[in-house]
Amino acid sequence: MATDIVIPSDLWEEDDETVITAWLVNDGSTVEEGALIAEIMTAKVQYEIQAPASGTVHIKEDADAVVAKGTVIGVVE
Amino acid sequence: MNKTNERKLTIARAMAEAVAQELRVDPRVFVMGEDIGALGGVYGNTRGLLEEFGAERIRDTPISETAFIGAAVGAAQDGMRPVVELMFVDFFGVCFDAIYNMMAKNTYFSGGSFKVPMVLMTSTGGGYSDGGQHSQCVYGTFAHLPGMKVVAPSNAYDAKGLMTAAMRDDSPVVYMYHKGLQGMGWLGTEPGATVHVPEESYALEIGKAKVVRDGTDVTVVSLGMGVHHAMKAAKELQEQGVSAEVIDLVSLVPLDRDTIRASVAKTGRLIVVDEDYMSYGVSGEIIASVTEHDISVLKAPPKRVAFPDVPIPFARVMEQFCLPNPDKIVAAWAGMQAA
Amino acid sequence: MTPSRDQLHWMYRNMVTSRRLEEAIAKIYLEGKTPVFNMANGPIPGEMHLSDGQEPVAVGVCAHLTAEDVVTATHRPHHQAIAKGVDLDRMVAEIFGKATGPSGGRGGHMHIFDPAVNFACSGIIAQGMGPAVGAALSRKVQGKPGVAVAFVGEGAVNQGGWHEAMNLAALWKLPFICVIEDNAWGISVAKAAATSVPRNDVRAAAYGIPGHHVEDNDPYAIFEVAGEAVARARAGEGPTLIEVETYRLAGHFMGDAEAYRPEGEKDGLFAKDPIPKMRWRMLTDGTATETELDAIEVESAERVDAAIKFARESADPAPEDALTSVFAA
Repeated sequence: MATDIVIPSDLWEEDDETVITAWLVNDGSTVEEGALIAEIMTAKVQYEIQAPASGTVHIKEDADAVVAKGTVIGVVE
Repeated sequence: MNKTNERKLTIARAMAEAVAQELRVDPRVFVMGEDIGALGGVYGNTRGLLEEFGAERIRDTPISETAFIGAAVGAAQDGMRPVVELMFVDFFGVCFDAIYNMMAKNTYFSGGSFKVPMVLMTSTGGGYSDGGQHSQCVYGTFAHLPGMKVVAPSNAYDAKGLMTAAMRDDSPVVYMYHKGLQGMGWLGTEPGATVHVPEESYALEIGKAKVVRDGTDVTVVSLGMGVHHAMKAAKELQEQGVSAEVIDLVSLVPLDRDTIRASVAKTGRLIVVDEDYMSYGVSGEIIASVTEHDISVLKAPPKRVAFPDVPIPFARVMEQFCLPNPDKIVAAWAGMQAA
Repeated sequence: MTPSRDQLHWMYRNMVTSRRLEEAIAKIYLEGKTPVFNMANGPIPGEMHLSDGQEPVAVGVCAHLTAEDVVTATHRPHHQAIAKGVDLDRMVAEIFGKATGPSGGRGGHMHIFDPAVNFACSGIIAQGMGPAVGAALSRKVQGKPGVAVAFVGEGAVNQGGWHEAMNLAALWKLPFICVIEDNAWGISVAKAAATSVPRNDVRAAAYGIPGHHVEDNDPYAIFEVAGEAVARARAGEGPTLIEVETYRLAGHFMGDAEAYRPEGEKDGLFAKDPIPKMRWRMLTDGTATETELDAIEVESAERVDAAIKFARESADPAPEDALTSVFAA
């Protein structure tokens, strides 16, 4: 079963877009649920993206991509 | 270099992880500095430490560098292992006595009976128009003065291993991290600095340079951000049919002269890339290390790509004009051919 | 000592001009930095420390100064520069890094220098103290008129250099005034977590000089104590220390999320915004009419717009000019 890796909508108040500053895993990595897998930044604040499930990460949006809240930046399956 | 299943870290996270791992096993370790507590460090390198270790061991300080760096010297001599942060290396002007006259010399003055096992971590570098009091590297200034080890990581793997080594070292270590490599998006970030970092604690040997790219025609020596410029230039040179070897110094003190000499003996040509001021600094030292050893290995006069001997200007066009970049390294090679 | 009607209008004008400038800069600063906030981008790169809320200190003190008096400022210098009379067009051009800035783009917003009004800055905490004391020494030794004022933040008082300079000024009885803008925060560290005493004016006792404390960012009270201090300095009676409780309505720098602030603190500060407060007070006590203040507000906004336009339309410096001005010509 595939679980989307989504930019959360509750990390910051406004509807600003965010940038993926780093993927901390490679495409195809196996991760445990809750593992730190990416960093995003809005204004000058960094937020962490954790693996929503255990499995294999497939990256859909590369580092430096600018994305909106709710964007699926990858999947874990 | 990264295998599929290997996690990566930014330098900021790698530094924090190394510090946290030592804090867990060594009760003598504590951290002091400005905004290193709740804020987690302006550059993220103490993020999460206050939450795990509390305010007794993770101490926000007043803007009193002379006092808290001096206090670190005293605490280190008294058996603790402080990690202190000087927020910008540019601020060393207000507290250098504690650093170079005490931290660096008390081991010697005491004939080795006092040890000063502390880490002074400090941010370096410009490129984002922060003006001439917030953009300097001054690597050469610190490396020039005897009694302190000086390291400068170019990637997160080295950052963690160097921090662990620095904290375990019985001598004072100045740990100079480049703002543009930290993984803080707002400072721009060199993606090449975010690499695989093992979860377990490990230490690098301080004083070893790394050949990060093999080549046969020219040796490009650098540190910190300059390593990434050098790697990009090497790719460009490869397209011109030139094989560049790139050396990451990793450590300025001790300086791994053997690795540099061996490489230049092979390639016969040397370019040094340094974001610090050109004169009386790292670039001159590297070149002297080669020429005083065996000048006959050189097929061309060495070149340096360094910051000119002027204060760092604010205006973007001026600062970028002064900073090293891959194009200048490629041009240095071309200049060598023309000579 | 109460400010005259003209002085009040001058103070209000400079407060409004400063605020309008900071508001304009805050907007322009974000150009090129959204959605990705990279400090290196946009027409104003680098760090940006805005002075919103701290205007009363600058105008209350500078109302007593002339161009020949010396001011040293900090990394957060815009309000002080405006109140000291630094040419606004050229100052804004420097903030943009343009060739028409007083430093030709070499300095930037933390390094504004204007010899015409004896204004200088340092981006290093407390390091304006020594040069201000030195200027005061120079005036005294040369028998030249003028006093020197060092503006610093409350964090600067914990620097060794601050104490050394205070002692020197007191020892040599120099025409010097240290004005502490206590905005309660050193980046993320609260004053109470950094300073061993609640109020820094008590430190004047350590140097045997008068110390004053002004509460609640009050431009009238600042005017009064600064007036006394300047008169004392001009009369050759030596230095004075003033601490003003002011408000940092902005973050430490642009992009600061200010997560360290207690919930609701910012709202409370905005409710005490000194500009509407002063406007209300002048209208209430009849020292200004609505028409007069409206005119000041319009003119200030136009003045700022013109300075921004000048800066935007000015040319970038020639890159190779980075190599000039290292030594005196």
